Amino acid sequence: MSAAATPAIDAVAYRARQRAWLAENLPPHWRADAVDYRPPSLDEAKAWEATLHREGFWGIAWPRDYGGHGLTLREHLISNQEIGRLPMPESQNSIGKELAGPIILAIATEEQKRRYLPAILEMREIWCQGFSEPEAGSDLAGLRTRATRDGAAWRINGQKVWTSGAHRAQRCLLLARTGTMEERHKGLSLFALKLDQPGVTVRPLRQITGDAEYCEVFFDNALVEPEDALGEPAKGWAAAVRVLEVERGTNRMYRGWRFEEQLRHLVTTCRADPALARLLEDSSIRQRIAQVQVDIEVLKRLVEQTVEVLVGGGSIGGHGSLSKQHWSEAHQRFAALAVELLEQAPYPASPEVEAAQRRFRKAYLQSRAQTIYAGTTEIQLGIIADRILKLPRGEAR
Amino acid sequence: MSEHSDIAAEIARTAQRVVAECDGLDTASVAARLGEAGLLGVLAPEAVGGLGLPLSAVAPVVEVAEAGLLAFPLVETLLAARLLAETQPDLAAALVAGEAVLTIAGAGSLSPGVSGVVGRAPLGTAARWLLAPLGEGAVLLALDAPGVTVAEDPGFDLERPAARVSVSGATPAATIPAAAWATLRADALLLRAAGALGAAGHCMDRAIEHLTGRRQFGRPLVTMQGLRFSLARQKIALEGARHALEHALALAGQDPQGESVPRLVARATCAEAAPAVIESAIQLHGGMGFTWDLGLHRQLRRAKEAAAALDAVAARAALAGRLEEAWAL
Ligand SMILES: Cc1cc2nc3c(=O)[nH]c(=O)nc-3n(C[C@H](O)[C@H](O)[C@H](O)COP(=O)(O)OP(=O)(O)OC[C@H]3O[C@@H](n4cnc5c(N)ncnc54)[C@H](O)[C@@H]3O)c2cc1C
Repeated sequence: MSAAATPAIDAVAYRARQRAWLAENLPPHWRADAVDYRPPSLDEAKAWEATLHREGFWGIAWPRDYGGHGLTLREHLISNQEIGRLPMPESQNSIGKELAGPIILAIATEEQKRRYLPAILEMREIWCQGFSEPEAGSDLAGLRTRATRDGAAWRINGQKVWTSGAHRAQRCLLLARTGTMEERHKGLSLFALKLDQPGVTVRPLRQITGDAEYCEVFFDNALVEPEDALGEPAKGWAAAVRVLEVERGTNRMYRGWRFEEQLRHLVTTCRADPALARLLEDSSIRQRIAQVQVDIEVLKRLVEQTVEVLVGGGSIGGHGSLSKQHWSEAHQRFAALAVELLEQAPYPASPEVEAAQRRFRKAYLQSRAQTIYAGTTEIQLGIIADRILKLPRGEAR
Repeated sequence: MSEHSDIAAEIARTAQRVVAECDGLDTASVAARLGEAGLLGVLAPEAVGGLGLPLSAVAPVVEVAEAGLLAFPLVETLLAARLLAETQPDLAAALVAGEAVLTIAGAGSLSPGVSGVVGRAPLGTAARWLLAPLGEGAVLLALDAPGVTVAEDPGFDLERPAARVSVSGATPAATIPAAAWATLRADALLLRAAGALGAAGHCMDRAIEHLTGRRQFGRPLVTMQGLRFSLARQKIALEGARHALEHALALAGQDPQGESVPRLVARATCAEAAPAVIESAIQLHGGMGFTWDLGLHRQLRRAKEAAAALDAVAARAALAGRLEEAWAL
């Protein structure tokens, strides 16, 4: 990614080192497949992620000047494969590391890079993504939150919604309107808003899993200092589109390998239970499990291909929609299968089966969001039709 | 026949009103309200205060109850009141009147010494009576009897948290023979299928209402052809399942052991159509669909439990076996 990058690293040794470190250091009760599973608190997670960064699991392809490790996306992929192989806690700052970070590297000033990027990696600043609004979801270009000049600074008024992690975040990657409504996507700008200020109110919203992971965020004359405007004014849409491409294409690159870990957990749990083991022999169930494996292999290839394109200097473009759509639907089918199998366990179930039931019931509910966030199924299909197939468009849409 | 369907329509209207009134009440009050409205005795004979109607007459009540998230072991009560009418008329009458709360263990089975652990008993911590499988039949237990302990062990369902019941050498209040128990279980599956379809239809209506009011890209979302096609497909699945179920309900009396092809077809179709339609209703609400407060996950959770009981994989395996028999040379 930068001239300071030093590729030519021994991939085998690198992988072995990452694998050994994780095996040694991941606390057993943080593993989602543990019978006594207990996820880390926010403070524990922050400390853990800061350690992961120091040990070379985050900021892998970011330049050293900004706290990164100066390697390439190939090493990023290897590390993610190793992260995926283990049922590890999800990052509390994946928006900072995987969405805001790449966009900052692409469009921010040198001073901004030095200010924002190390703070992200060291977990001093958690970011959230303020794009969606009550009246602008799929139709993001219809957003209304306004940014108006106040001398050299900006004042923000409006509301965002479904903002993941805003309740724990210090900064918001904010897309706001600096032009008129009629200008649609041409009148938008991107900001790095500080959340800890009087003009901002964050209200967590409870989700169908019972967790409150996303929020409403209200802006009442909130201030953005001049040094926190990102990129050129009115060029926010192009930047936002890049954010979304990254979100669909390279974000959480470990997904395919985590997916495989989940399948392994499901199958080994069923095998250890005599009645569920018999169910695994059912030919229709065997076919469905094999299909999950096929889906996983295809997903891995899509992700690896994306990495090769990017390492070769290409861009993701609409292609992130292929892996996002494939993953989200395949993962929903898998989670439904997992629940279907585990609900047939004899009663009372073993502690291992009960732990798996808890994990996959939650995964099933969680999976319902996967075809909604980062652009719904219907929007991804539209992107594939428009930008990959380049189908001609008539008047009506 | 038509007299029955008039009564059934009347019952369904009553159910609509009463289920809404039950929202937020405790279990005993819900029982009383349902009993007062005559909804708990639809299947039980007149001798215990019931109406003695066939299974098909009560399916609309269960549909409405699932759509409206009724916090009550309704299917269990309806069927237990019919089951116990002859041998335990006092308890059956109390169930019909809504003066007693009974639940059924959906999983596990007791050993001949009336010991062991059973579970998936909806609202078990609020119930006084339990029917639990033992051998090929079942036993009726008082949940406050010596040797019986009840603890919450919730699954998906939020309004009727399931309980685990541990039993150690308890004395049953009654013993249920295998044939009667098989009929109860088979009929329970059809009613749960009806409930899941009722919930699915309700969720689909809500999704259509939302898409009709919601504008994106300068037009109501409901005018987008992709969504219209998707909804149309779901309608095909729902209607197919509904017809399969109605057929099975109509013939239920001829197949008390629950092994007929119509019952298996109903199980397989309803178990798959209902959750898929509710999942889609959540999808069609976008980010809001994923909120706890919108509440569609509540119907989904209940429908997933129903689908697990209906067990489409087992139903299809049984059907495949039947075809082999039927077409053997
Ligand atoms: C768990 C979760 C986390 C999220 N995190 C964030 C976040 O951190 N930051 C952020 O900005 N947003 C976030 N979102 C919001 C998400 O991006 C939006 O929910 C999504 O873009 C859909 O917008 P909407 O909710 O307004 O639904 P709508 O746009 O109203 O869509 C409703 C339904 O209509 C369909 N539809 C819309 N347009 C069309 C069309 N043209 N053709 C056919 N069908 C169509 C949709 O697919 C959907 O099924 C999150 C959402 C979820 C569920």
